Amino acid sequence: MIRTASAVRRRARVRRATILAFLAVMGPGIITGFAGNDAGGVTTYTAVGAHYGYALLWLLLLSTAGLVVIQEMCARMGAVTGKGLSDLIRERFGVRWTIVAMVALLVANGSNVVAEFAGVAASLELLGVQRIVSVPAAAIAIWVLVVFFSYRVVERALFVLLLAFVAYPASAFIVRPDWDAVLRGLAVPELSPGQAALIAALALVGTTITPYMQFYIQASIVDKGIDRELYRFARIDVYLGALLTGLNGFFIVVVAGAVLFPAHVLVNSAADAAQALGPLAGDQAKLLFGVGLFGASLLAATIMPLSTSYAICEAFGWESGISKDFREAPVFMGLFTLLLVLGAIVVLSPSVPLIPLILVSQNVNGLLLPIVLVFILRLAGDRGLMGDQANGRVSQIVGIGTAVMASALSIGLVAVTVLGL
Amino acid sequence: MPYLSEIQHRRVIEPSGNEVGKLADVAVVPQGQFPAAQWAILATPNGEKVVRWADLAQEIGHFRLRARLESTPDAHLPPEALRLARDLLDKQIVDTHGAKVVRVNDLQLAEHEGQLRLVGADVGLRGLLRRVGAETMAERVAGLAGRRLPRGIIPWHLVERLETTGAPVRLTVPHGKLALLHPADIADIVEEMTADERVAVFQQLDLETAAETMAEVEPEMQAAIVSDLPEERAADILEEMDPDEAADLLQDLPEERREELVELMEKEEAQDVEELLTFPEDSAGGIMTSDFVALPGGLSAAQAIDELRTRKPDPELTYYLYVIDGEGKLEGVLSLRDLVVAAPETKVIEIMDPHVLKVDAETPKEEVAALIAKYDLLALPVVSARGKLMGTVTIDDVVELMLPRGWKKRSLRSIAR
Repeated sequence: MIRTASAVRRRARVRRATILAFLAVMGPGIITGFAGNDAGGVTTYTAVGAHYGYALLWLLLLSTAGLVVIQEMCARMGAVTGKGLSDLIRERFGVRWTIVAMVALLVANGSNVVAEFAGVAASLELLGVQRIVSVPAAAIAIWVLVVFFSYRVVERALFVLLLAFVAYPASAFIVRPDWDAVLRGLAVPELSPGQAALIAALALVGTTITPYMQFYIQASIVDKGIDRELYRFARIDVYLGALLTGLNGFFIVVVAGAVLFPAHVLVNSAADAAQALGPLAGDQAKLLFGVGLFGASLLAATIMPLSTSYAICEAFGWESGISKDFREAPVFMGLFTLLLVLGAIVVLSPSVPLIPLILVSQNVNGLLLPIVLVFILRLAGDRGLMGDQANGRVSQIVGIGTAVMASALSIGLVAVTVLGL
Repeated sequence: MPYLSEIQHRRVIEPSGNEVGKLADVAVVPQGQFPAAQWAILATPNGEKVVRWADLAQEIGHFRLRARLESTPDAHLPPEALRLARDLLDKQIVDTHGAKVVRVNDLQLAEHEGQLRLVGADVGLRGLLRRVGAETMAERVAGLAGRRLPRGIIPWHLVERLETTGAPVRLTVPHGKLALLHPADIADIVEEMTADERVAVFQQLDLETAAETMAEVEPEMQAAIVSDLPEERAADILEEMDPDEAADLLQDLPEERREELVELMEKEEAQDVEELLTFPEDSAGGIMTSDFVALPGGLSAAQAIDELRTRKPDPELTYYLYVIDGEGKLEGVLSLRDLVVAAPETKVIEIMDPHVLKVDAETPKEEVAALIAKYDLLALPVVSARGKLMGTVTIDDVVELMLPRGWKKRSLRSIAR
């Protein structure tokens, strides 16, 4: 009886505090949305717009729909079970499958770290700094900041730099794109069967629905202590965050499609990509693009190795935490350090072209996405685990559809590459 | 000694040698130091069948039923039974010895007086390797390097289960073992748990341990736990905490919830806490405790000692004894030693040191910490504008500010919070 009384009181309280509660839990979704807007995202969207105009917008639309549904699934799993995604994978599927999932995550995130360092290098090269200086400096700075100071300080500072990307929606109205053509691109699915187009398409899917975002959103929900009751408010934030990722991609593709595509600019360097902001910023386009790309890359280069180490240590029950040293948490600190070092080294070799490197890394994400999705769909659809919060038919179908789409593109790309078509 | 991973999935045959299925799981009742295997769950082509463990005989490479499958009676698992593979393997447990949350990679079993018993949880690398069938190979590789793979086995009696299966939270084992740990260790463990498990732990600990544990939990998590606990229990725990810690915690709650809880607390404690709540969180007033020992100046040393005997103050409050006048104004300070070595009839006002270092309630806490550090104090009195003694800041309230940055940082599952 006592329980019932307090439950009633609690419900009444929730209604009164609706707006406050929404503001309090708002965050993880939108932060994830922003973090998805990294070097891989900006570069891929720019290249897609520059090389194919609006032709692949339909794929971005589908990916965003998939992202919204999948992010919601993971957030819901976090709220219902109170556990992270790698936790659940380990408990549900055992050691072998956990190894499969974790290797997939490690490879996908490792390639993202490479992309972020490529972003740091590319953005600072725009501003005249050689990568032999910028990349090691960034890696060391990240390591020191995370280990000796607080990650949160870095996060706030870098978010400010991300505001530079507001330039894209602003440009989208200045450059007066052909909105009819944009609509056609959104509605009419077309894809040329060549290797280059498949690489662009898979990168587009892989950068929009990055596997790391699913682990990240679920961990954030768990860390914030959001339970079933609060989840009603958190859900809105998760939807907004996913939509933000899609919308951001949309504006970049549209601007690049309107400015670079007609001029036949091939995006091979950051300077090429920066030209998209020319109509808005004129001579300052390089600076604007450089600052935004630098902030986004550095932020993601900090988050990515950290969240990867957390997810893997969580799955295998290894000690984790930044406050621990190499003796207490050898795997955690080792992984975190190794990811930074390897990411930096790959980018340092001077012969590696940065922009193609970033595109390839997003392909790796796209290739591995179906593996991660299968785990997520099996978990979120499991009534034994989720009870009445298990996936409904719509979520399950959209999820499967997304996995099939990514798999089809992956298989297509592998086939075209192997057969040399 | 066999491991669960080694006997799981072994073939089960009838006396005739006819294979009827595989061993899917082993069930025990989690009682006693090392629970005995009581049931076997067989995976047969017709689904799962539960039989008594005694109906099976272990032979090399397989298990043999003592009778044919049809004539072996079906057994029923009682609700408290634990299925080792389903309920323990890959799950998180608490290592009460190392005071941390770890993951079960394998389970160690041992034959003892004719009974197979659960003796330990393998949480080490070996267990992981064994699960993927790579233990022998890894051992050989390690041997080449002249090393041995470390074992990571926690004896079962030092293990506390965390897992809460099924939708409603049901903690199958009372948290007896947890309660024996130091509150700071319990707090570390609680921080690794899910929200439901945390609430269950705080419901089951005795009030004093619960209060001490709560004080050690990360501030952000404190607020979450208090919001999830039933109001009455939360109020009880808050009463038991030091007023300054309770006030800090309440400060992080939404106003409505805070008022409800203060209302439910005993008058005296509630008053203390409410007073503290009026000061900014990062000032001397915000971190001070309103508990202190104050003696009227007219008291003799003997009377003062009697007074202490009846009041039985907490140890951290006896570092310094304060002397106040009739209006509560701070006049001086003396130590317990001063009091004890003085002649019994001497008045405290004669023993005390009238030069007391004190701060007002608005002093920033960093400054308070600096003063305490500079003058090697154990506590510092806080006075009002008119010199009235309001509370004290003890060294444990500011020790965090003196530590190097990052010292108290805890592990976060992700970095977004």
